[in-house]
Amino acid sequence: MSFLPAFLLALIAAVPMGWALWAAASQALDVSAWQALWADPQTLRAWGMTLWTGLASTVLVWWTVARLLAHGFIRQQLARWLTHVPALLATPHAAMAIGLVLWLSPSGWALRLVSPGLSGFDAPPPWVTTQDPWGLGLILALWLKEVPFLLWVAATQLQREDLRRRWQAEFALAQTLGHTPTTAFAQVVWPQLAPRLRWPLLAVLAYGLTVVDMALIIGPATPPTLAVLAWQWLGDADAAMQAQGAAAAGCLTVSVAILAGVTVMVLRAWARLLRVASSPLLLQGESPWVGLVIGGAYLAVWWALAVGSVSGVWPFPQLWPSLWTGDAWAQVIASAPTVWTTLGLAAASASVCLVWSVAWLELTPRRWQQALRPWWLLPLVLPSVLWVVGLYSVALQWRLEGQWLGLLLAHAVMVLPYVLLALEPAYLAVDPRQSAVVASLGQGRWTDLLRIKWPLLKRAIASAWAVGFAVSVAQYLPTLYVGAGRFATVTTEAVTLASGAQRSLMSAYAALQMLLPVLAFALAAYLGRPRQFEKIGSMKDNT
Amino acid sequence: MNAGLQIDIERLGTAAQTLVQDLHLKVPAGEILTLMGPSGCGKSSVLAATAGTLASVSEGLQPLQFDGRVQLNGRDLTTLPTHLRGVGLVFQDALLFAHMTVAENLLFAVPRALPLAQRQARVQQALQEAELSGMGERDPSTLSGGQRARVALMRALLAEPQALLLDEPFSKLDAALRAQLRPWVFAHVRERRIPVVLVTHDEQDVADPQRVVHLRATEESPHHV
Repeated sequence: MSFLPAFLLALIAAVPMGWALWAAASQALDVSAWQALWADPQTLRAWGMTLWTGLASTVLVWWTVARLLAHGFIRQQLARWLTHVPALLATPHAAMAIGLVLWLSPSGWALRLVSPGLSGFDAPPPWVTTQDPWGLGLILALWLKEVPFLLWVAATQLQREDLRRRWQAEFALAQTLGHTPTTAFAQVVWPQLAPRLRWPLLAVLAYGLTVVDMALIIGPATPPTLAVLAWQWLGDADAAMQAQGAAAAGCLTVSVAILAGVTVMVLRAWARLLRVASSPLLLQGESPWVGLVIGGAYLAVWWALAVGSVSGVWPFPQLWPSLWTGDAWAQVIASAPTVWTTLGLAAASASVCLVWSVAWLELTPRRWQQALRPWWLLPLVLPSVLWVVGLYSVALQWRLEGQWLGLLLAHAVMVLPYVLLALEPAYLAVDPRQSAVVASLGQGRWTDLLRIKWPLLKRAIASAWAVGFAVSVAQYLPTLYVGAGRFATVTTEAVTLASGAQRSLMSAYAALQMLLPVLAFALAAYLGRPRQFEKIGSMKDNT
Repeated sequence: MNAGLQIDIERLGTAAQTLVQDLHLKVPAGEILTLMGPSGCGKSSVLAATAGTLASVSEGLQPLQFDGRVQLNGRDLTTLPTHLRGVGLVFQDALLFAHMTVAENLLFAVPRALPLAQRQARVQQALQEAELSGMGERDPSTLSGGQRARVALMRALLAEPQALLLDEPFSKLDAALRAQLRPWVFAHVRERRIPVVLVTHDEQDVADPQRVVHLRATEESPHHV
C-alpha cells in the first residue's frame, strides 16, 4: 500500500483545520482581552448560565438515551425505533427552537389551548416563558435536539451486523446464567456500547455549552449564555470588543476541555459501579413515556411551524388564525437565491466530505485512521465561536472571505466529522475476505469497489451524505461570519427573523430549514433502499 | 516439473511472531493437498500468501510479512496482485454478494471476454451442476447453508482458476451435510485438473490420505506424514 495518497488526504483536511485552530488560538490568548473579559460585569453570570444549561442538558440527554436504548434493546424494538431517528435528526436546531417558541411563548399555543376558559387570560400574560432567565427553555430545546443525535450514533453502531449479532448472543447467554433482561443489558451490552458513545456524548456536552443559534432564539437574554455574549462581542465594530469575544471563545474552550475530562471520569466511575453493582443502576424500570414525549414534541413542533407559516391575523386567545395566508411562502419563493445558496452549499460540502471520507477509509492504513480520528472529530467538541474566529482568519489570509469557496471550506470543516462518523462503522464492518474473493475471481480493485463494495455500502454512503447535507443546512455562525454577511441561507434568515414579529415568515423559513434536510434524507432512503428480490413464491411459476 | 502449484515459505508472520517457517508444498494438477493443524497455526495465512490476500487476514493492524515464493505452472506469482494470479479462493462463509441474485453472483465470475449469451449459458450449467436449477433469481440469503457452499464453489470455478484454495469450506455445516458435500466438491475440483489446497482441522475432511501436511501451532518446522 502506498502511503502517498494517505498522506495527501491527511494534509488536505488537516491544513485548513490546523491553520484555523492556530489562528483562533493566537487570538483567543490575548492577555489584555482576558483582563477585559474578567472585568466585564456580564461575564461571570453568563458563564454560570452556560455551565448550568450545558451540564443540565447533557445529564438529561445521557440518562434519556441510556434508558431508551435499554428499553428498546430488551424489548427487541430498537431497530424499529431507530428507523425514525433520521427524521428527528433532520430537524435543525433553529427550527426546533422556533417551533418551541411558537408553543411556549405567552401568546403561544400552550396558553391558547387553556385560554380564556381555564386561565382567564384575554391577552398574553407578561410572562417570560421562552427566554426565561433560568435557561429552562434552552435546556428543553437542547434535550429534544441532542437525544436523537446520540441515538443516531448508537444506531450506526447497532447497524453493524457483527456487533449486533454478538451482543444479542451475549445478552441471551447472560440470561441463561440467571440474570434478568435488565441486568443482562446493564452488565453485558451497555458496558460495550457506552464507550462507543463517549465521543458523541462529549460532542453533546460541547454543543450544550457553546450553542449560539438556539440560545439566541430560546435562551435567556439578561444575561445570555457566554457563547451568545462572545458572538455579540465578535460582531462589535470595536476591535477591543472583538478581542474580548475571542477571549470568551477561548474561555469556553477551556471550560469544555475541563468538563469533558470530568465527564469521562464520571462515566468511568459509573461503569465500574455498574460492573459490580447488584442492581442495574439508573437503567432499571420501564419508561416508554420518554420516547413518546420526545416523539410528541417533534410532531408538535412540526405542526406549529406548518400552521404558523400560513397564519395571517391571529388574535389571542383564538386557537386558530382568523386569517390564513400564503404570503410568507410567496416571500420565501421570491427569495429563491437564498434557497439556492443553502442547497448549493449543503450539496457541495456534503459531497466533498463524502468523497474525502470514502477515500480516507479506503486508502489509509487502519493505524493512521485510529491515530488521526480524534483530530477529525475536533469540530464536534470545540466551540463553534472558536472555529469561526479561526476560519475567518484563514479565509482572510487565503482571500476567500465573503466568497462562496470560503463558505464551502467553513461548512466542510463542520460537516466532515458527521459524515465520517456516519460512514465509518459500516465501512469498517466490511469483511476483508470479501475483497479477497473478488480478486481471486480475477477482478481488479475498481471492479470490486464499483460493483461489489460500494453497492453493498450504498445505504451507509447515502445516509452519510444526507447527514452532511443536514449539518450544512443548519450552520449559522460560519455562514454569517465567514460569509461576511454577504450570503443569506434559510438558517440565517430564520434566526434573524426569530427576534422580529413576523411570525408567519419566521415559521416559513424554519419550516423550509427543516424541509430541505428531510428531502435529503428521503432521497438517501430511496437511493440506499435494499434490493427487492423476487419472492420465492413467484419463482415457482417460472420453473 | 513445472506443472502444478509450488509454495515455498521461508518465513510467514508478523514482525514480532513467526507463524510458519520452512514450509515447502508442491501440488500437481488434479491433486488435492490437505493442510491440517489446530486453529492459530497459520493455515489460513498460508492460503492468503498463496492468493496474495495477506492484507485481508491481518486486519490491517499487524501486517503479515511473507518471505518466500509461489509458483503456478512455472509462473512466479509472488509479486503479482491477486486478480492476476488465477488462484481461486473459497471460505467457510460462502461470502455471496448480498446485493446480487444467485445467478448474478455466478455471472460476476465468468470471464468477460465471452459474449453475454455464452456467459449466461455457463451460469445455467453451473446452477445445474450445483443442483440449483431454477433458483438463479433467488436472493442468496434465502439459500440453505449447503446450497450457499455449492454456489460459492461454482462461482470460484467459473472464473477458470488455474489453482484453487479451500479454506475450511465445510466447517460451518453439520456432519450429515458435510458427508454429502465432500465427495461433490472433490469430484468437481478434480474434474478441472488443477492443483487444489484444502485447509481443515477435521481429519474426516482429508481428500487424499497420500497428500496431507500437518502444521503445528509452534515455530517448529512442519511434520510431514
